[in-house]
Amino acid sequence: MYLPAGVRNHSYAQDMAIFRTRTQWALLGLLLVSLFVLPMFLSNYWLSVCNIIAITIIAATGLNILTGYCGQLSIGHAGFIAVGGYTSAILAGQLGLPFLVSMLCGGIMAGLIGMLFGLPSLRVKGFYLAISTIAAQFIIMWVIRNWSGVTGGNIGLGVPNAEIFGYTFSTQSSKYYLILVITILVIFFAKNLTRTRPGRAFVAIRDNDLAAQVMGINLFRYKLLAFFIGCFFAGIAGSLLAHCYYGFLNPEFFDFKESILYVGMIIIGGLGTSIGPILGVILIRLLDNVLSLQIVPFLEANVTILSSGWASGLKPMIFGAVIILFLILEPRGLAHRWNVFKTSYRIWPFSY
Amino acid sequence: MADLLQFVITGLTVGMVYSLIAMGFVLIWKSSGVANLALGQLVLISSWITYAILVQIGLPVWLGIPLVIVIAFALGWLIERFLLRPLIAQPILSLIAVTLGLSYFLDGLITFIWPWSVDALPRLFPQTSVHIGPAVISQEYLWAAIISVLLFTALSLYFKYSRMGIAMRATADDQMAVQACGIPVTKIFSRSWMLACAMASIGGILMASIGGIGHGLIDTGMKSFSVVILGGLDSFLGAMIAGPIIGLAENLGGGYLTALTWPGVREVIPFIMIILVMMIKPYGLFGETRIERI
Repeated sequence: MYLPAGVRNHSYAQDMAIFRTRTQWALLGLLLVSLFVLPMFLSNYWLSVCNIIAITIIAATGLNILTGYCGQLSIGHAGFIAVGGYTSAILAGQLGLPFLVSMLCGGIMAGLIGMLFGLPSLRVKGFYLAISTIAAQFIIMWVIRNWSGVTGGNIGLGVPNAEIFGYTFSTQSSKYYLILVITILVIFFAKNLTRTRPGRAFVAIRDNDLAAQVMGINLFRYKLLAFFIGCFFAGIAGSLLAHCYYGFLNPEFFDFKESILYVGMIIIGGLGTSIGPILGVILIRLLDNVLSLQIVPFLEANVTILSSGWASGLKPMIFGAVIILFLILEPRGLAHRWNVFKTSYRIWPFSY
Repeated sequence: MADLLQFVITGLTVGMVYSLIAMGFVLIWKSSGVANLALGQLVLISSWITYAILVQIGLPVWLGIPLVIVIAFALGWLIERFLLRPLIAQPILSLIAVTLGLSYFLDGLITFIWPWSVDALPRLFPQTSVHIGPAVISQEYLWAAIISVLLFTALSLYFKYSRMGIAMRATADDQMAVQACGIPVTKIFSRSWMLACAMASIGGILMASIGGIGHGLIDTGMKSFSVVILGGLDSFLGAMIAGPIIGLAENLGGGYLTALTWPGVREVIPFIMIILVMMIKPYGLFGETRIERI
């Protein structure tokens, strides 16, 4: 851990602080203020882009706890997001529960389902676990597609707007504030979780689960806890996705490819860092946006030599290539680049 | 009764093709410890390549199919050389993620070249059906099953007796020791990828010639994961036996459970099998149980 020059710790409290210097506090304040005044300057369209970025950050933070910290690779994250989204939508829409309650229920439901499919993690790891989460994804989506009496099946399900104490979040900017507050809470929770006993237990399990067990870490408890927390965040993200982004739900939104993309996002950002998922999500979601709204239609209209529809293959190709290139060239992700930048900024003009 | 026999025969023969694709997976896992999650996409892209050669270019079958296999070799070599080799000695998570990235990339590439996404291959086998008791089976499935058994035998012999096969088994056992013996490990990795891609392409050709080309082939690849999990990741025999079991479960379940549950139960049975195997016997029927030391 590199400290800015001249920073010394005189107490444990100081040593544990996330933000150490006045500059850091000022920058944090500046960031928060600018995030809160952002809706004044953005059009509705860009606000909705910010919303999807923030929601994805919540889900990716969950996956990062599960995969980045605890080392349990999950390739079924979109399935768990779907569980949360559908649970919350059904509770709020058909049973009329308040939004906050149904969102929490969605999260808890996703967490429980995640724990269920995380059970194999007690006996297997690595590739075996990855396969069982793939199986989870397919089983969950099959149930959602076919249980049409409850989930609306392939046709989809209408979802009411979020409502807290009589206030309905119907405009883009009100949704933005709601999502922003939840996202900040989630990031704060995730950052602190990694500094607690469970967080350190997760890291120990990731590095070597047998050694961790020998040191007295209860694998059963902590692996399932990691699954619960990771999938709980997925569920919260799913609920927000349903109530504040799409407004209706369809199994198409939770494709297997989406799950792969989530893994890709945390790899691009940097596994096991708190800033990683944020950077990765922003990069991929912005790329997604620019590609599908600007570049693909442009190419589709102007390059007519190839068979029609070819350009829709461009996005998956670029995403796949980005994931592969990051793995080969910068496996520590954008977070590492960010740290390198910070360090070299601090010690400039010297090289070390 | 006639239904039952029909389900059993269809299940067994379709399962043989799953075995074939699964063996490609086992091959890579055995020699390099890499899990190839892009299996479905490799199956799909090789059936599209077959389409390009046989239909779009119009080469005859006897020239076209060997050409497809040569292209599959090249594809396997490229994948190993440019994606897997830079990642040697990286954690398993990166190795899994890189094949996921590859699957995403291939998905896009397929849409890029063949955007219409569904087509038919010319039939490679006679279509007259064969009657076994009261059951009817298309001859194509029987041919597919025979080819799969032949390849299994060839592969087993190759691994048992050929120099390269023995070297591959040795690499699976202990990479360091093999390197110390002067066997080029990287060459073995690239050979195994080439072979695996060829197996995936044969599986793709067989499936596509029977059922047409479409995204269903990716699901065939996905189902092969349940075959490798059930059979054990490092066992050809396991893959060969587990394939028909999965095929049977799928067809019997599809035949008898659809009325009880929802349609499409057939598609999800392999995945339920995966979860069950994980809970009961995680290393599969013939897989080696790993003993870990700290």
